[in-house]
Amino acid sequence: MAKNSVAIIGRSRLAEELLELSRAKGFEATLHPEADGIAAAASLVIETHATVAEDKKEILKRLDADLPRSSVILTSCLSSATTRIASWTDKPERVAGFATFYPLKEKKVIELSAGLKTREESLQQAESFFRALGKETVRVKDGPGLIFARILSLIINEAVRSLDEGVAQAEEIDVAMRLGTNYPQGPLRWADQIGLDEVLAVLEGLQRETGDDRYRPAPLLKKMVLAGWLGESTSKGFYNYGK
Amino acid sequence: MGAGIAQISAQAGFETVLYDISQEFVDKGLERIRVFLQRSRERGKITAEGEQQTLARLVGSLKLEDFKGCTLVIEAVPEQLALKRETFKKLDAICGPETLLATNTSSFSVTAIAGATQHPERVLGMHFFNPPPLMALVEVIQGERTSAATMEKAMTLARQIGKTPVPAKDTPGFIVNRIARPFYNEALRILGDGHVTVETVDRIMKGAGGFPMGPFELMDLIGIDINFAATESLYQSFFHDPRFRPSPIQQRMVLAGNLGRKTGRGFYTYGEK
Repeated sequence: MAKNSVAIIGRSRLAEELLELSRAKGFEATLHPEADGIAAAASLVIETHATVAEDKKEILKRLDADLPRSSVILTSCLSSATTRIASWTDKPERVAGFATFYPLKEKKVIELSAGLKTREESLQQAESFFRALGKETVRVKDGPGLIFARILSLIINEAVRSLDEGVAQAEEIDVAMRLGTNYPQGPLRWADQIGLDEVLAVLEGLQRETGDDRYRPAPLLKKMVLAGWLGESTSKGFYNYGK
Repeated sequence: MGAGIAQISAQAGFETVLYDISQEFVDKGLERIRVFLQRSRERGKITAEGEQQTLARLVGSLKLEDFKGCTLVIEAVPEQLALKRETFKKLDAICGPETLLATNTSSFSVTAIAGATQHPERVLGMHFFNPPPLMALVEVIQGERTSAATMEKAMTLARQIGKTPVPAKDTPGFIVNRIARPFYNEALRILGDGHVTVETVDRIMKGAGGFPMGPFELMDLIGIDINFAATESLYQSFFHDPRFRPSPIQQRMVLAGNLGRKTGRGFYTYGEK
């Protein structure tokens, strides 16, 4: 039945994890790295791109044109407010936002947001999906990164600045934050796990949406993303990972 | 914090002098240590013999001269720069050049404190975390003129008192107070944006982030005034960089005397005090 059919768009580790989790919970789930070939039966389409606003805009436009009117689009709002993403489509009422970082497995709570024009039913469908995966959901005010990703990205940004300024070495920064504040992971190791491009996307999104300089990304973070050192997924970030 | 630091030093086997400005304060500090050790013994964490030996290594003092000949002096006087500089000037005159002089400051530059002495090469920061007997970290801070030998000796001493030392340069907030700032400050900004409760933010940071406490619970525990002062100090030190801009919500709470658990009222309310 269409109700249990989910199409996941993207090529990130989060997209793969979503596919695995939804299948494990009995969903008819498919993965679409190129955002094409989606069955008309997919009642929920989850678009997971955090980065590159131009690509994301193209993808949203294509999905909006291809999908039947009844399908809900759940989009990652890590780098843009849901309202902005919905504005790229002709049916903004069917677009709901979510923001989370890889890995999904450890997350008990998933944040969701409605754009100004999002229909209540669209958000409810997103909530039912995550609850079926065993997650709690919380609705929060629309904005890039919502709450957890926004706060953590700023912590990571400050850690990268400290590293770049030579305040301490990466390992030392991580040890200090774990032992001095009981963080579950050091911020630089955490960034490597999430993917530096995703962290940068949140910061750039916040800077763009608010115009506030407090979100300005650390130059070293930008450089590492340009160099393709994204963390675990590329074997190199603030640490090296054997392949 | 002085008593907590004196305790771990004595527990690690060092003859330890606990100085304060009045007998009343010295006695209070020693009493705190006695109570802590007694509880540790009752929980089976230390033996009665260990407890006695630790207490025997501790001596209270009202004279800075008693620090003469010490390997290391750790200063934990109130966070006022003039007071700290005054203290270091006196210690510098009393203690021979082989004595390391460390400040436990969290908000001042080690370099600024060392500047009051004739021997800044033996002055450094040793920043402990509250409560020192339970928190493993010590930030070991190298001022502009702190020697490499001083840093090395301090790292070794920190390990000998059972701590994990992390060396850092003398920059505002060192490592932890600086990098942890957004955990509090951005949570306050989000609260100020509206349409969200402190309970929701705390629930998300624990449930999505895996943090042991949410930012608002933690601020209530630390003390809203202490947390606000730390943010203000960083904001000043970074010459008003907007990354560190303090929150009007927090300022209002400080002015209202809603300081968290210690006053029974902060972001949450606690049993009347």
